[in-house]
Amino acid sequence: MTSKKQPGPLRILIASSHPLFAQGLNSLLQRRTEMETVVVGMVSTIKEAVEALHELHPDLVIVDYDDDKVNREEFLARFVEGEGRLRVVLLSLKEGGDEAIVYDRRSMAASQIEDWLDDWSEFNEKASPNREYPVQMDEEQEQPQRRNTMRHIIVAGLLVIILTVVTILLLTNIRLLPEAASLQAIPIDDLFRLDFIAIAVLFSLIVGLMVYSIVVFRRRKNDMSDGPHVEGNIRLEVVWTLIPLGFVLFLAYYGSAALGETQAADPKPLRVDVVGSQWSWRFEYPDYGIISTELILPVDKQALLSLSSTDVIHSFWVPEFRVKQDALPGDGFERELRVTPDLIGNYKVRCAELCGRLHYDMLAAVNVVSQDDFDAWVVSQTEPLSDDPVERGEMFAQQFGCIACHSLDGTQLVGPTWKGVFGSQEQLDDGTSVLVDRDYLFKSIREPGLQIVAGYQDLMPANIAEGMTDEQIEDVIAFIESLR
Amino acid sequence: MRFYKLSIVRGLLFMVIGTLLGVVITIMLRLLLGMSAWRAEPVLVAGALLGAVFFMFGTGVLDDWLKWARGEDTPEPSVESEIQGYKRYLHVSFDHKVIGIQYGVTSLFIMMVAGLFALIFRTELAQTGLQFLTPDGYNTLISLHGIVNIGAILLGVGAMSNYLVPLMIGANDMAFPRLNAFAYWINIPGILMLLSTIILGGIDAGWTGYPPLSANLTKIGFSMFFLGVYLIGLSSIFGALNLITTIVRMRAPGMSLFRMPIFVWSVLATSLIALTATQLIGLSFQLVLFERIFGMDFFNPEQGGNVLLFQHLFWFYSHPAVYVFVLPGLGVISELLPVFARKPLFGYRWVALSSMAIAIVGFFVWAHHMFTSGMASFLRVPFTYTTLLVAIPTGIKFFSWVATIWGGKLTFKTPMLYVLGAISIFLLGGLSGPPNATVATDLHIHDTYFIVGHFHATMFGGYLFPFIAAIYYWFPLMTGRMYSERLGKLSFWLILLGFYAQSLIQMQTGLLGMRRRIADYDPALGVDLQQLLISIAGFVVGLGVLVFVVNLVRSVRHGEAAVPNPWRSRSPEWQIPTPVSGHNYDEPFEVIGDPYDYGLEDSEYTTLGGSSPSPLPASAAAD
Repeated sequence: MTSKKQPGPLRILIASSHPLFAQGLNSLLQRRTEMETVVVGMVSTIKEAVEALHELHPDLVIVDYDDDKVNREEFLARFVEGEGRLRVVLLSLKEGGDEAIVYDRRSMAASQIEDWLDDWSEFNEKASPNREYPVQMDEEQEQPQRRNTMRHIIVAGLLVIILTVVTILLLTNIRLLPEAASLQAIPIDDLFRLDFIAIAVLFSLIVGLMVYSIVVFRRRKNDMSDGPHVEGNIRLEVVWTLIPLGFVLFLAYYGSAALGETQAADPKPLRVDVVGSQWSWRFEYPDYGIISTELILPVDKQALLSLSSTDVIHSFWVPEFRVKQDALPGDGFERELRVTPDLIGNYKVRCAELCGRLHYDMLAAVNVVSQDDFDAWVVSQTEPLSDDPVERGEMFAQQFGCIACHSLDGTQLVGPTWKGVFGSQEQLDDGTSVLVDRDYLFKSIREPGLQIVAGYQDLMPANIAEGMTDEQIEDVIAFIESLR
Repeated sequence: MRFYKLSIVRGLLFMVIGTLLGVVITIMLRLLLGMSAWRAEPVLVAGALLGAVFFMFGTGVLDDWLKWARGEDTPEPSVESEIQGYKRYLHVSFDHKVIGIQYGVTSLFIMMVAGLFALIFRTELAQTGLQFLTPDGYNTLISLHGIVNIGAILLGVGAMSNYLVPLMIGANDMAFPRLNAFAYWINIPGILMLLSTIILGGIDAGWTGYPPLSANLTKIGFSMFFLGVYLIGLSSIFGALNLITTIVRMRAPGMSLFRMPIFVWSVLATSLIALTATQLIGLSFQLVLFERIFGMDFFNPEQGGNVLLFQHLFWFYSHPAVYVFVLPGLGVISELLPVFARKPLFGYRWVALSSMAIAIVGFFVWAHHMFTSGMASFLRVPFTYTTLLVAIPTGIKFFSWVATIWGGKLTFKTPMLYVLGAISIFLLGGLSGPPNATVATDLHIHDTYFIVGHFHATMFGGYLFPFIAAIYYWFPLMTGRMYSERLGKLSFWLILLGFYAQSLIQMQTGLLGMRRRIADYDPALGVDLQQLLISIAGFVVGLGVLVFVVNLVRSVRHGEAAVPNPWRSRSPEWQIPTPVSGHNYDEPFEVIGDPYDYGLEDSEYTTLGGSSPSPLPASAAAD
């Protein structure tokens, strides 16, 4: 948009859709002005105004400030972008008698233009604060609108409340959590209950309002007009940002406090080392020198579990205890988990991190017993080992997880069955054949994967026998030999 | 165009040649270096890599760049494609609309493949005991279901972004049309690599592929998995680069940032994430790949490796990634509600900036996937705070959506149904977030079906429902025809009800102790009935998806001719003749108003016009 400084009369463009404004101003200008002016055009929409700016190159534009139909912000944005040496007057008939704002494009620096636009928007907000609501009507017409809105809010609000109550009733009456069997479960279940209530409230709020809108705010048949022009509401935005922020910060704090509670340390806990291997659990009680395939715990006493793995990442979880912790492989990667069972019963620990083929079946018994029963169990476990190497071997084979993959009765599992294997001739996966004797078995346990039987895969964890002494392995071999 | 000249055919042919060549070269290299000639994994991986390079070359997508490298000029691509019919989509095109549809169709196709995997393992899970799947096979199916669906989502996001953004901002194409084509085609070898894992031993470490499990298992499939994801990641990065440049530089005159359609804002936020975070999954997978092939023990604990390092690197991308998955869909919701409510989008600026806020905050929450991992215990607390903070901008969206439809004049065509359904399902997914965000409760639900329910709900609500809504909504624009409203509504109700049942029951079983990624479950858990119901619900969802696809295929060929701008939208892409073809806008338009000024009489958005309602056929007026 270029225009040269034209000699001759001042070219004026009037932008207003109100005929009285435009015509009236036109007559006034023709009769009362001292300098020569010519009204080059009268436009009533923004589109026409833009075209007129391009084609007619006015020197002055008088904009009807009160006219909703001429989108003032838009027009002025164009005005700023344009290159023409132009002046704009914003004229309002409503705001006081002498309210006219003049903006002179010829004398504003680029930086001033930015500020000017901001000032103008602010002025606009102050002057017509009701811009966010539908077109301003006189008092009488406004009241029924307000009453209507209140009615909607009340009915919708009732719907939301009913939905909330129903949802909470539902959530509290179906089985959602397994029975709680540990002290750590107490703050966790409290937090869950808070979460469920919050979920019920928020779900009902949004869905309730949506359902209400879907039912009530439908387009009436053959009504092709648009809805009310509501662009936003800053107060509402701030409210629905700050209130959730407050709630979220509260929940984070409350949740972190709950975490702290679950980690409260007993000064003299029962120490248990928990070792996960593909695909079995081993529990060692260092204070008693016991190795077990079942986790026996005395009730009301904190157990400090030290978790580790011989191969891949596993995870220790008893749903009734709630707390969970991954068991990691590697020296120095032992991780602690504190559990204080408070309900006598038989539970199960199930591996909770995908660890390969038999992940789904990596379970072990977890029995919580009275202190007396626990003491009796300790005594029974620390009886001197059997004299019979075969019996000892059977015990070790269970404790160190061999049975998870090698059957004793001929069934083909992940690894070759032990039944009848001792002394037999086996074909290996590289085509050679080998006699299954003590040497072969010893090597296969210490260094799995070197000589794999044909038809099986290299799945035996490399350090499955890390915790075993040579004597223990000899006992296991004796046990295998006994399974003819 | 002859069949054998089509890019896809030539590409595949070249891929076979390239793979064989790669194998041969690697064998020769190994012999030269004094190693044994054949070790399956490195040889096949090298072959696959060279095969992918040859594929790209064979499609012809590199031709223009190679010419430029030789100093030759290339002609501007012609406005109308020379190829007619469906074959156009099997060939390289630089037209963003063709590429968008290529993305979309590929996305739907692999989504159905991944869905099929789900139906298979859901059949297995319907009862306790292993009925017909081996544990390995089961683990592979769930892993592939995950990663292939993730690929499908990325492709679907690419479809919507590529097709719509230039149209919405008044551009005639993307900033880099050839890069756009490249970013689409590189997905093909990536997807083929993922699917090849089925015959290469499978991948049973989950789509997350944690080492040491993924490094130890001697299954070549793992290397193909890592390589495939790498290529799909490249597509994400290039696509994001293209979109950001296009949005920043190619908007129509007068289209300030706060005058863009809201969908463009969501694509901008999404692309900023995709551009900067995707590298991390490439990196983490590359490290495991090198551990497998070159013996570089990054994560081998016996050699001093740290398994936690992988998880941090992996999740640093994979959490922001989920916002890549849902932000465009949330943008679609914001885009469609004003049209079907005939009211402005409430708080447009707040909604626009909320996408940015989600993108930024999303970078600071990754360790909430690792609360039980054995990371430093106290560090879990700040991640609780940041994770819960994401709820604030997300909440702004929800409240804005409700405020948009409140007091409006709603109609309920299929796109609107899917959008409303999306809101409620995304709400369900989002509200199941806080128990995951606070560490104490997460200790119970991590790695259970509660998590499975949570992320499926957020994915369906934030991606799938809006994606289907977008396809239905812009269908007349793309094809000039209307879809079947009857089938559309049927598919909606099937998917919605099936999915609600599935999600709620999954969350319940998870709380009760049902772990995830297990081929069989203990009857002692007492969730047998629930598992059966979940499986049935899954089939209902599958049926709904099938009805949707049938609707698309039939309507493309036999749909009733669409009227121009059937939705009476103010958006510029509806103001030009449909179906849109060739160079989008014959003349550039100017933006002279706000995009969502429904209800403001005589307000125009662009100089293309379009604020007055166009006459509707009788069938459309009767709702």
